Amino acid sequence: MRLFHLRSVDWLDSQLIYHAQARLGIEGINILAPSTPYVCIGYHQNLAQEVDLEYCKAHDIPVFRREVGGGAVFLDGDQIFYQIVLHKDNPLVRGDKADLYKLLLEPVAQTYADLGIPSQYRPVNDVVTLEGRKISGTGAAEIGDSIVLVGNLIADFDYETMTRVLRIPDEKYRDKVFKSMRENLTTIKREIGQVPTWDAMAGPLIRNYESIFGTLEAVELPDEVRREAEVLKPQFLSQDWLFKRRTAGKQEGIKIATGVNVINRAHKAPGGLIRALFELKDEVIFQVSLSGDYFCYPQDTVSRLEAALEGKAVSDLPDLIEAFYQDEDFETPGISPQDWVKVLVG
Amino acid sequence: MTSILGYEFPEDLFFTRDHIWVKADGDDVTIGLSDFGQAIAGDILFIEMPNIGRVIAKDEAFMSMESGKWVGRVKAPISGTVSEANEELEWETNLVNSDPYGEGWLAKIKASDLSELDTLLRADSPELEALITEEKAKYNK
Repeated sequence: MRLFHLRSVDWLDSQLIYHAQARLGIEGINILAPSTPYVCIGYHQNLAQEVDLEYCKAHDIPVFRREVGGGAVFLDGDQIFYQIVLHKDNPLVRGDKADLYKLLLEPVAQTYADLGIPSQYRPVNDVVTLEGRKISGTGAAEIGDSIVLVGNLIADFDYETMTRVLRIPDEKYRDKVFKSMRENLTTIKREIGQVPTWDAMAGPLIRNYESIFGTLEAVELPDEVRREAEVLKPQFLSQDWLFKRRTAGKQEGIKIATGVNVINRAHKAPGGLIRALFELKDEVIFQVSLSGDYFCYPQDTVSRLEAALEGKAVSDLPDLIEAFYQDEDFETPGISPQDWVKVLVG
Repeated sequence: MTSILGYEFPEDLFFTRDHIWVKADGDDVTIGLSDFGQAIAGDILFIEMPNIGRVIAKDEAFMSMESGKWVGRVKAPISGTVSEANEELEWETNLVNSDPYGEGWLAKIKASDLSELDTLLRADSPELEALITEEKAKYNK
């Protein structure tokens, strides 16, 4: 197995190189980081819906659509990328997707442990600290006859810019996404108080991958990969590719980590429009904020309903809201308990 | 219906080695993901739909599906022109998992060379049983 330890590269190369390798069937592990920031969206995402393109343009932040799955991310030089390209017939590519993710992400969890941050692989595709905070973003794809898995060691993270580049309809929603991201995604710097040197992070990562692949010797990236990357460049930068949308399926809200979404949902009830903004974490709701265009008596009851919903399982909401209406003598003309269930559960 | 290791394979369909099923009605061909295919894929969250009228060659990757941030390709089981895509999947991608041979169909193709069907596997063929046995072991299913 070849190691392409490329360190800091042009932002576009940080994506094009593995796409080229996969097409050429050239196996290897790339360790690199982009020299300048950019936004990267998942293969099936709708760019115009996911990213605030005006903000990106005003701040000279380029945008890229990868062939790997997952969501929109802000990537920069504070993240070390690992990109693994394997031929689909490689004996290591056995088991289901979870097996391959486990095989290739356990060395990442071990690397964090080596850096003083006890972490673990969590199915299907997460690396989390013992407190359950995500500390590595990952994704995978079949490209040509290759399987590609990419991810990052997050030395530091610009939460503010990440939240700003996403297309979010209002500031309250943006604030909730920011807080949820701070709570559920952590970094090396936040965990140990400093950013280690490149070699202090990449060294253990390479050593831990050697437990799977055997000795990894750093070699030059083959010229044919660079040539293929040049060939791919116009296609990946084309408007057709960036804005392509023939995708079925939808993700509700903004995904922060596996099982964690910030949801902003509206529902037109007979008595008016009602809106719920909340964090949904493993089917439990937190930080519920209810608003809308309605009348209620007594007036502070909605804030008491918000408090009653905190930390409750989605499956319990119908009974809970029904009981709340009865116990609190709550009146909302034209808005029934079922309408609140509709806006909270969907 | 033939059952192989607990997975269903309707006898009137053809199957590729990539777990795509094919139903031919003259040169109108419907395709989808087999019961075994959806099991190894897991819950499908996104599907890239093909453009109607696109001309495709057998084995060309022309659609994709995503589950667990993993993007998998769908290769054309037969050459022809895409005549329809299952728009219902736009609202419920999990139909591919819940009803793979019914409402979870993926696309329709006007086939240009029906003789290509001869290269595909049938539900009761020993080749399909051998493939599923091998793949089941590979994917720990």
